[in-house]
Amino acid sequence: MMSKLSNVWVFSDIASRLPEVIAGGVQLGEKVSAFVIGSEDEIAKAYSLGATHVYYLGEKDTSKIIEDYAETMAHAISNGDTNTLMLLGATKRGKALAAKLGVQLNAGVINDASEVTVADGVTAKHMVYGGLAIGEEKIVSPIALITIGNGVFEAAQADNSKTGEAVSVSFIEPKAAIKCIERRAKQGESVDLGKAKRVIAIGSGIGKQENLQMVADLGAALGAELGCSRPIAETEKWMERERYIGVSGVMLKPELYLALGISGQIQHMVGALGSQTILAVNKDKNAPIFQYADYGIVGDLNKVVPALISAFKG
Amino acid sequence: MKIITCYKLVPEEQDITVKADGILDTSKAAPKINQFDLNAVEAAVEIKALVGECKITALSMGGKALDNPKARKDILSRGPDDLTVVVDEKFEHLLPHQTARVLAAAAQKNGFDLIICGDGSGDLYAQQVGIQLGELLEVATINAVSKIVSAQDGTVTVERALDDEVEVLEITLPAVISVSADINEPTIPSMKTILAAGRKPVTKLSAEDLEIAEIPALVESVSVLAPKQAERKQIIIDGDDEDQVAEFAEHLRKALK
Ligand SMILES: Cc1cc2nc3c(=O)[nH]c(=O)nc-3n(C[C@H](O)[C@H](O)[C@H](O)COP(=O)(O)OP(=O)(O)OC[C@H]3O[C@@H](n4cnc5c(N)ncnc54)[C@H](O)[C@@H]3O)c2cc1C
Repeated sequence: MMSKLSNVWVFSDIASRLPEVIAGGVQLGEKVSAFVIGSEDEIAKAYSLGATHVYYLGEKDTSKIIEDYAETMAHAISNGDTNTLMLLGATKRGKALAAKLGVQLNAGVINDASEVTVADGVTAKHMVYGGLAIGEEKIVSPIALITIGNGVFEAAQADNSKTGEAVSVSFIEPKAAIKCIERRAKQGESVDLGKAKRVIAIGSGIGKQENLQMVADLGAALGAELGCSRPIAETEKWMERERYIGVSGVMLKPELYLALGISGQIQHMVGALGSQTILAVNKDKNAPIFQYADYGIVGDLNKVVPALISAFKG
Repeated sequence: MKIITCYKLVPEEQDITVKADGILDTSKAAPKINQFDLNAVEAAVEIKALVGECKITALSMGGKALDNPKARKDILSRGPDDLTVVVDEKFEHLLPHQTARVLAAAAQKNGFDLIICGDGSGDLYAQQVGIQLGELLEVATINAVSKIVSAQDGTVTVERALDDEVEVLEITLPAVISVSADINEPTIPSMKTILAAGRKPVTKLSAEDLEIAEIPALVESVSVLAPKQAERKQIIIDGDDEDQVAEFAEHLRKALK
């Protein structure tokens, strides 16, 4: 039976993920205690989203990294209820923090959870073996640490009538701090492929970089965002990392996903299986992609794509 | 500088099959070095080139697969000077917090300035062993390292590509870092390095040799099951002549509505 914990801690290093972690907290806990690092506005924001308690760790300090707040958070958590859960966004920082807290609090950690349940203990599911299977694990330590993937909880809506006073928490120096000597925004445009309605994905079968133009033309004709398989982003570097689909990349849920020259190995496909309709172009009729497709054509993309462009243009 | 680079043997993904009840069959999947750990070894080789005076020890723990001479040669052909394996049947299917504790004990025995891990492994992809290891050893520790900027005795400077920003970090040694898959392109071993690998020293340790304190039970595995796949129409047109492409375009048109 699903039950609630008396208190769930939440933290997000990225502001846009806060509504989801708080929503998770509200669903799994009677009280929701949020750690906030940043401006006073962010305290108000956490309350408006449904936090019942805010623990304020101060303004952002550019010389500190977020992970160096682990000792401070661990201290606050260990002073509270012993049976508790902390939810974080499954970002790189979220995972680093969770692992550090796991050792400091002698607590179990599960990353990239796709489902979290509280019964006797906290249980979570996450993808294993490159998407071939789902692993279910139960945290049996009194404190549980879980980082959640995108879209696991429906984002909480802000209600500005909900307010409160924050408790100030003083910083505890970590045993071995890391010095941040520079910080810069990431280069390149930011795309959120996870929210796209239509996606055309290209794989190694595209052959050469010049062919990207023809795919961009098809994308324009269909009103689709462009994505890719891992080799295109990581080996060839023809597209940004934000565009590669799969277990270690973006998870899609569009209405339409069209794969061009993608073999369809499971590590890629798990990112595309949430699509309503899957279409594929591949010259190998035995390519695994066809097992996952609603509509497929066994053919050369150099022939099929130009034909599709003329069929759909204007 | 004394570097340890950790690696895990995982079943070859291509050879894992799913049985009717959703249970994975890994019996035909040969053990191979986890892909992400190859990036870690390569990063160690890169640092060695920067600091000169440097020894790289590859470290792994697990079951009897680690006894396999081919698997040992494989890791040693990628640059480490020697290898330490901790082999015990009970280390066959450890959860991440347990793995971290065994590695911590082995690293302490070996001694180190810097430990390099991959960000995760292709099997469980738990993404926490490196950080837990550093935390257990009470040294500076960080994940997602995407570039080695410089290295000298006592410090390494690295870049870390995060979800929204890039950090440049100065890390005082001893430390443990986990590297992301895009940090480098692992070198493919040459025949010469493969032959030389056979002559490099290997140390085999048992659980008893490490005197590991009792490992707490923090997490239990409940199940590992393949999910049910949604039914797909699987209408496949064989051939790319004009008519066939037109037929495909018609399906695409309907899907766009
Ligand atoms: C732990 C792990 C995690 C991974 N995570 C991811 C991930 O998140 N995302 C990801 O994408 N991959 C991931 N991979 C890699 C994945 O296993 C595959 O290697 C990868 O998806 C293959 O990419 P591809 O289909 O583009 O290339 P290939 O497998 O090389 O396939 C190319 C396809 O193009 C077809 N083709 C060639 N020429 C033409 C043409 N002219 N016209 C039509 N078709 C053509 C070929 O028939 C072939 O099927 C991961 C692997 C591991 C081990």
